[in-house]
Amino acid sequence: MVSISLHNVCLDYPLYGAYDFSLKRRLLGHLIREPGEMRIIRAVDSFTIEAEAGARIGLAGPNGSGKSTLLRLIAGVYPPSSGRVTVRGKVVPLLGLNAGVNLDFVAEDNIALLLRISGRKPTRGVIDDIWAFTELETRMQRLPLRMFSSGMLMRVLFATATAFPADILLLDEWLSVVDEHFAEKAERRLQNLVSQAAIVIIASHDQPLLRRTCSRIINLDHGRIASTIAVEPPVTHSFELREKRA
Amino acid sequence: MHHTSETPRRPSVLHIFKIYYPDLFGGTLTVIRDICASLKDSFASAVLVCSQSAEQREIVVDDVPVERVRSFGNLLSLPAAPTYPWRLWRRSAEHDLLALHAPFPLADLVFAFGFGRSRRLVVHWHADIVSHAGLRWLVEPLMRRTLRHAKAIIVSDQALVENTPLLREFEDKCHVVPFGVDTSGYDWPKIEPHHVNDRGRLVLACGRLVPYKGFDVLIRAAVNRKFEVWIIGEGTERPRLEQLIRELGLGDRVRLLGSVNDSERIKLMCLSDVFVMPSVTNAETFGLVQLEAMAAGRPVVNTALDTAVPHVARHGMEAITVPPGDPEKLGDAIDTLIRDPERRRRMGQSARTRALTRYSATAFREGMETVYRDAVTASCEEPATAAEPPQATGWLDSVRIAAALAWSDMRHRYVRSLLGPFWMSLQMAIVVAVLGSVIGQMSNADMLARLPMLALSMTAWTFLNSVVLDATTALQNSASLIRDRALPPVIFLLQCTFRQTLFALHNACVPLALWLILSPHDLSHALAALPGLLLFIACTFALSLVLGATATRYRDLKPIIESTLMLAFLASPVVWSAEMINHRSTVMRLNPLTHLFAVWREPLAGGHIDPTSIVYVLITLALLIFASVLTLVHLRKAAFWI
Repeated sequence: MVSISLHNVCLDYPLYGAYDFSLKRRLLGHLIREPGEMRIIRAVDSFTIEAEAGARIGLAGPNGSGKSTLLRLIAGVYPPSSGRVTVRGKVVPLLGLNAGVNLDFVAEDNIALLLRISGRKPTRGVIDDIWAFTELETRMQRLPLRMFSSGMLMRVLFATATAFPADILLLDEWLSVVDEHFAEKAERRLQNLVSQAAIVIIASHDQPLLRRTCSRIINLDHGRIASTIAVEPPVTHSFELREKRA
Repeated sequence: MHHTSETPRRPSVLHIFKIYYPDLFGGTLTVIRDICASLKDSFASAVLVCSQSAEQREIVVDDVPVERVRSFGNLLSLPAAPTYPWRLWRRSAEHDLLALHAPFPLADLVFAFGFGRSRRLVVHWHADIVSHAGLRWLVEPLMRRTLRHAKAIIVSDQALVENTPLLREFEDKCHVVPFGVDTSGYDWPKIEPHHVNDRGRLVLACGRLVPYKGFDVLIRAAVNRKFEVWIIGEGTERPRLEQLIRELGLGDRVRLLGSVNDSERIKLMCLSDVFVMPSVTNAETFGLVQLEAMAAGRPVVNTALDTAVPHVARHGMEAITVPPGDPEKLGDAIDTLIRDPERRRRMGQSARTRALTRYSATAFREGMETVYRDAVTASCEEPATAAEPPQATGWLDSVRIAAALAWSDMRHRYVRSLLGPFWMSLQMAIVVAVLGSVIGQMSNADMLARLPMLALSMTAWTFLNSVVLDATTALQNSASLIRDRALPPVIFLLQCTFRQTLFALHNACVPLALWLILSPHDLSHALAALPGLLLFIACTFALSLVLGATATRYRDLKPIIESTLMLAFLASPVVWSAEMINHRSTVMRLNPLTHLFAVWREPLAGGHIDPTSIVYVLITLALLIFASVLTLVHLRKAAFWI
């Protein structure tokens, strides 16, 4: 059973300045009784949310409102300072596409490595499927990623990251702009991925996109829930349209 | 699982067995070949087997790719193929379904170690283990594990399930799919049998010339009778059977025909008057040849085994069944049929009807396809349930990811240069040469003999030094993977140890070469040094874990660690050996590194380890493990530090 449950969760994010990374200064501070005051920011403040299978949640809010931090909290990157976090199911965080990429490697090896990082066996068939999705020439598989344009790189990374379905999908920002044709195809694939995942949480500034995809939109402000909007009818409608086109 | 493929790809099946065409012919191989051929529209088949012939590792038999792993003879009926487990592990990752043709304990062993565990497995139970039954206690637990892991077990007859205790444990998984025979090939143009062989007394048998086929019984049965016996097949028993024929003076009536091709065999079956299957042990589970003989409309004489044999051709209807291993009864049964042409005709006709209706190739194909398809689809739910307890498998995944990352780091070195990490080995060789000559000047000792140990110590030191130094920056360098992919930070500390182990293996070629050239080769010393070396590696890893985490939290630690390592190098007996310096030196004695090197260097040099060294190292390890546990608890916060 896939579910996410956050109960009254707070996250105090320590802001380390240059001095805070120093052991010497810390020890000295103890000696001369200088109160070592750590600057802390409350990135997530008394956040409560329940999500069962089928939930599509959008996170909106200005920069620094805690969207990404919240996603990382759910992914288990940050431990909560207080409150209770229960996540059941396999979480696949797609927060940054280029994590773990080695530009000196040929594309094929990078795909294989990225698949291994996400715990998948990179078999020939899988890599070929991914490559087919990028619509790049086959011989480019053997070229180092350094030689790819940023758009082509994005295609490869996107195709790799979204090759497998997930229980819980965490998406930070939709995707950076690639050319129009691929963007459309990419969105279709993401929609497909979203439709297969049990729970999806998307952080984005793109309000129309959130309305298209999500059943609930949470507006964040300084780590608190400012408002929750339920979106209903357009979701099924847009899916139907997409399926017909596909 | 991957939903990306737009066109439906045929699921691929890997057939696992010990031997395949063209090295051998026989019932099991026919079955594998028939499965590959009849399922070719719905499954892509491949075969992985052993072969004693050196040439051509990859061949194609009847459009099916066959990989043949080199085997060096047979050991206890098993091919001695040292690389087979490795190939099986590699290949199993590429296929959707594994089809193990049992008995094949070598593959059971591979599965028992957990390789290929994630793949869906179907077991074709061809026979129980009959030869070397004394080793059964050893093999049976392995087979049980394989069967437990299997999605389905395919047997040719219900009798096998009932008479095999091991199969009865897994009765709910067993699927009975009787073998089929393609009867179209048997409609031989009307050769009137009596035209070619009007004496009406030709007895045919067919099978590999191996003991369990019981051909010696058949030969003995021919003594003092009138019928002729022709035996098709080749095998290790041939000299013994030839000798038996000579001794009994049956040379004019009993002939060993050797191997013949398929169409020739069918022709001979249509010519013969009686088909005999004299098998003596339960290794004969089905008797595909008797089914072929039935398709050719021949009456059968078979034996009362506990297997499908007497069920395929039933006593009194299609066959006369006699007790196994009884030449007298066998001869009587054959004579009964030889004397009664009308009965032969009647039994032959009902045999052909039974082959057509009960054992058709279509039914076989459909049954097989259903089982395979269910096995492939059944497992689609598996990953989801397997992912249920994330904590239990978590650390194993971490180790796997760390290993993959370390491996890619090493390959990265090769990308940028031809020699890759061997550049470091070259550097190591130069350092050892220079240090060796300098120390040789200082101590007057026989430096040449000490050179291998010096090189090895340098390799070990370089390992420790680089693991710790790497660890201090590892978390910062992998910030994006930790924060964006939510990978546990410990992976990247583990990666340092793995990566430097790979580099150390490259460096180790220097001491290895020196050792081969300069020392008497005594392997037992190397074995004695192994536990100490493992302690050394464990301590190194624990140290890197603790220092790596703290150096990430407190950035000013890194320069301190660097200078401490330099100091430790000078204060430890890495370059100098114990005799060269005053052994009583307090610094040396208190330095844990002295003992950490001693626990593996002393046994390697043929000496004994000082018990204080062992105690010292164990205490150090215990402290480091304690510190590591503390570190692991705090490592959760690492994402804040980077």
